[in-house]
Amino acid sequence: MNITLLKHEFLASIKLFSIIIAVLMLYIISIVYMYNPEMSNTLNQLTESMPELMAAFGMSNFGDTIIEFLSTYLYGFLLLILPLVFVIMLSNKLIIGYIDNGSMGYIITTPNTRLKIVVTQAFFLIISLFALLSITTTVTVIFCELLFPNELNIAAFITLNFGLFLLHFAISGFCFLISCSSKDLKTSYAYCVGIPIMFYLIEALSNLGGALEKLQYVTIFSLFDPQKLIAQDTLALWMLLSLFIIGAVCYTLAVRIFVKRDLYL
Amino acid sequence: MKMIEVHSLTKKFGDFYSIQNVNLEIEKGEVFGFLGPNGAGKSTTIRHLMGFLQATEGHCSIKGLDCRQSTATIQKFVGYLPGEIAFIDKMTGKQFIRFIAQLRGLNDLKRADELIEYFELNATGLIKKMSKGMKQKIGLVCAFMHDPEIVILDEPTSGLDPLMQTKFIEFILAEKQKGTTILMSSHMIEEVEKTCDRVAIINAGKIVATEKVADLKKRKSKKYMIEFQNESELSRFMDESYVAEQLSPTKAIIIVQGEIQVMLQTLAHYHIVDLDIISQSLEDIFMHYYETGGQES
Repeated sequence: MNITLLKHEFLASIKLFSIIIAVLMLYIISIVYMYNPEMSNTLNQLTESMPELMAAFGMSNFGDTIIEFLSTYLYGFLLLILPLVFVIMLSNKLIIGYIDNGSMGYIITTPNTRLKIVVTQAFFLIISLFALLSITTTVTVIFCELLFPNELNIAAFITLNFGLFLLHFAISGFCFLISCSSKDLKTSYAYCVGIPIMFYLIEALSNLGGALEKLQYVTIFSLFDPQKLIAQDTLALWMLLSLFIIGAVCYTLAVRIFVKRDLYL
Repeated sequence: MKMIEVHSLTKKFGDFYSIQNVNLEIEKGEVFGFLGPNGAGKSTTIRHLMGFLQATEGHCSIKGLDCRQSTATIQKFVGYLPGEIAFIDKMTGKQFIRFIAQLRGLNDLKRADELIEYFELNATGLIKKMSKGMKQKIGLVCAFMHDPEIVILDEPTSGLDPLMQTKFIEFILAEKQKGTTILMSSHMIEEVEKTCDRVAIINAGKIVATEKVADLKKRKSKKYMIEFQNESELSRFMDESYVAEQLSPTKAIIIVQGEIQVMLQTLAHYHIVDLDIISQSLEDIFMHYYETGGQES
């Protein structure tokens, strides 16, 4: 791990981090604010009036408790997509961005091994993602406690967010792998945006139910199941483990590829 | 022990050989020029030395350390200037230099400041907004700021104005005095002539020749463009035993190898309006090597 490089990446990505956090905060706070034990009836009516559309965004069951309300409202779309944007941008910047603009030539010609550099970048990506989700989790908990004391099941909520972190850990591993193995920035972005979005769309389709439900076996997003996580189902634990393995394998491969690859700098 | 060694280095992309069987040996304190046209394989060879590429065949080492295995150790005493001018755009020149120094674990920026002053670099602005020459100077500062024993420069003067090029040549000569081993690639024969002890000429991925610069100079033919007063003077001159090429009724280019004293004496017998020295381009040198097949040393 190289501290100078970590410090540099921190300063260079603080803007992106702040923007993503700010947007998330805005949404989270207004959605927590919207929660009203009686209101879920209205929302359920809305779901009944256009079930397909709401289901596509994972908003099929608003439930009665605040945690179910939050999980359907936030964890079906917003907390999947915004951290994804953050992960895609950061993972591309950390490796292929430097290769593409040539500045990697200066970074790896310092007395630091490629291994050290790529591990530093991977660590930074994971730690940033962890910080992002920790902040949103903490803020949500505090805000819920302020507005609706003792309504939120904190243990279940933390499990839910841990699941979300592992989902994004797996996706970030994939993006980092692409970033380390691509020829140029454009190709890398194409795969990093294309494949997760495709997975998300498949997930949305599978949520519609019926014959399409089988599609859930081909998308990574179904490994993150808010309902099961809240219920602390054992199956959910296996799903978390799979997410962790996917992420760990991707990161390991990414590091190996970066250390071995040819660089034209 | 040789400072830089390259043994039968070959890099293949599909069916295309980027470089083929390249051999180089550079002694301590030597300034070694690497000449060749664009795409000849200069940068590819240098990238192998920096450990960026995995050779298809052969290997290279710096101070006896394998370039692919011991990259981090090698970087402690090597300075490198990439051929492509590229930095982190969002930083200022100063920030970038400091960043690279910190990555090197270098706390003393005295040498960097000296270099900034020497190259008249204004490093306070954003790199994005700098001219090509300014960016190149930042690269030079980064390559030399840790007082490296060995420096590898990929086309160091590209982007520099003529005044700065002269200053750069002086700088290289001063480094040479200090005993620094330098490998620099170039496609400009003048700067190589002025600084290097030996030179390797590469074309289409193969080393065509490795020569001492002093020998090269001796064998280098010179071209003179001469304008005669009238046609008869020219036709009279064409009977002399010189390799000459007539351009117009009164103009001709003559090629002289080695001594020019004889030629000047001959010319004194003619009425001449103008005499111009045509500096020999790299291409001409190549032509020379194609014709003779080059001398492998």
